[in-house]
Amino acid sequence: MALLELDQVTKRYGGIIAVNEATFSVEKGSITSLIGPNGAGKTTAFDTISGVIEVDGGKIRYAGKDITNLRPWAVTKLGIGRTFQVTRELGDMTVLENLAVAGVPNSFSSLLGGRIQKDEYDKAMEVLTFLGIEKLANELSKRLSYGQRKLLELAAVLMIEPDMILLDEPAGGVNPALLDRILDRIQAINDTGITFLIVEHNMDVVMRLSHSIVVMAHGQVLIQNTPEVVRNDERVLDAYLGEA
Amino acid sequence: MTDVRTPTPEAAVTSSEPNRSRWIVLAVVLAFVALLPFARWLESYNYVLQVGTIILMWVAMASSWNILGGYTGYTSLGHNVFFGIGAYVGGMLLVEAGISPFITAPLAGLVAMITGAIVGLITFRAKGPAFIISTIALLLVIFLLLDNWEYVGGANGLSLPLAPFELSWVKVPFYYGMLVSAVLAVLLGYRVAHSKMGLALRAIAADEVKAEVAGIDTRRFKLMAYALSAFFPGVVGAIWGYSLTYVRPTAFFAISVAAQFVLMSIIGGRGTVAGPVIGAAFIIMLNELSVTYLGGSEINLAFTGLIMVLALLFFPLGLVGTLRATNKLPGWLDWD
Repeated sequence: MALLELDQVTKRYGGIIAVNEATFSVEKGSITSLIGPNGAGKTTAFDTISGVIEVDGGKIRYAGKDITNLRPWAVTKLGIGRTFQVTRELGDMTVLENLAVAGVPNSFSSLLGGRIQKDEYDKAMEVLTFLGIEKLANELSKRLSYGQRKLLELAAVLMIEPDMILLDEPAGGVNPALLDRILDRIQAINDTGITFLIVEHNMDVVMRLSHSIVVMAHGQVLIQNTPEVVRNDERVLDAYLGEA
Repeated sequence: MTDVRTPTPEAAVTSSEPNRSRWIVLAVVLAFVALLPFARWLESYNYVLQVGTIILMWVAMASSWNILGGYTGYTSLGHNVFFGIGAYVGGMLLVEAGISPFITAPLAGLVAMITGAIVGLITFRAKGPAFIISTIALLLVIFLLLDNWEYVGGANGLSLPLAPFELSWVKVPFYYGMLVSAVLAVLLGYRVAHSKMGLALRAIAADEVKAEVAGIDTRRFKLMAYALSAFFPGVVGAIWGYSLTYVRPTAFFAISVAAQFVLMSIIGGRGTVAGPVIGAAFIIMLNELSVTYLGGSEINLAFTGLIMVLALLFFPLGLVGTLRATNKLPGWLDWD
């Protein structure tokens, strides 16, 4: 069953069509990777799903519900969490405070009570322990290494108890030791039934994690299939290496 | 906004619990301020009370501005609009209905608050410098509107009757009105800073897209911040207009008044609870000192400007912000 569906989604920037009638789906419980050369429209597709940018055409459905052009906070409240290609932690906040942001109610009731409730603290520490960065709980997030910031972003997403996680280049700029831990944790989270859509350039990572792969080039979806089929598809090789 | 504290997990959970020594110092300071009107033996009693009234008024206004300009990171250069609206609401109700602004001040604050929310709907379409310019535009629009609205006196404004108090202690009710407003405004700032709303506002100041993606309805929080930050300027505007016995557009809607909101918060420490309090006291006292020793000439303005430049040179995050960043902030001043 498809949890997320993009149907003829188009996004233009002036004369440039960043995403051109893209159609693909993400099965519930799967890890689906979105790959393609630079400028293929992968991150733009992410931005349209998470509501960071509005689409010019097409529909996006999540769990059967039309979420096209919903604002980001509303998309998040539906259970879709996302990370960014270049990490966007809230630098002057501690790791704990970064995580507590997920528990802010969108009303004047947010004036009541403290910044971090006891149950939120417990939940945050549980998430941080799961990701192996619990000792950084009180550290200002701007003092973390890049790899630790990637884990912090994942931790912040887990705080919203998502059904689906969009990861934008989880392996980018991360040292091999930390990368192994990130991939291991992604697998463990997926084993609990949480669906992933991942943008990634590292083909080893893509082949190791993915149940399904969507290939984009020039804003269009070339193919969606299993890693084995995609690996041998001529259109994919052409997209990456150029046509002979 | 910079916050370089690294609390323990326990502190993060219980950070709103009072620190005893801090509260003792603050209680002593508050008691001193509250008892000041009884010090009638002072040689310059009326002058001291007047300066105290002005400081307390600016504490209320700068602390309010700080909710929007400090915590949320949206610099408003038109916040005296709410100060003026409060003055006009209080003044009109006094002239038309004979109700004392001491009674109608909360209503004036409410009108300012609603105006803030409506204005926010428009101005929050812009960000950064465009937002700042939109708040200046708002100031000019309201100024022109009231300057030409004959029902509220036009350019001449409203003349208000003298407060019906004994002349020898006529300043005292105004002093206490400002004191109550200042205390409540600082408490509001403290509550916001120590609540989830404060966390949301800091997230918006740091990275608005990230805050949205974390599940925060940034538009709603910005509007709430704008509305909250408009309330106490409205309240003290009503009281101040009554104190002046007139309400004129030039007295309330000058750009120099708008700049004071920003300067006090920046000098004291933008985004900190104590910063606007220290900034308001510092700037008003600096102004008074320079006028006293240099006279009401342009030299005193140059001197005030020089001191401010030096203050920001050595305290780039404001007095409170820089002391905290260098771990030199005394505990009794750390209200964040």
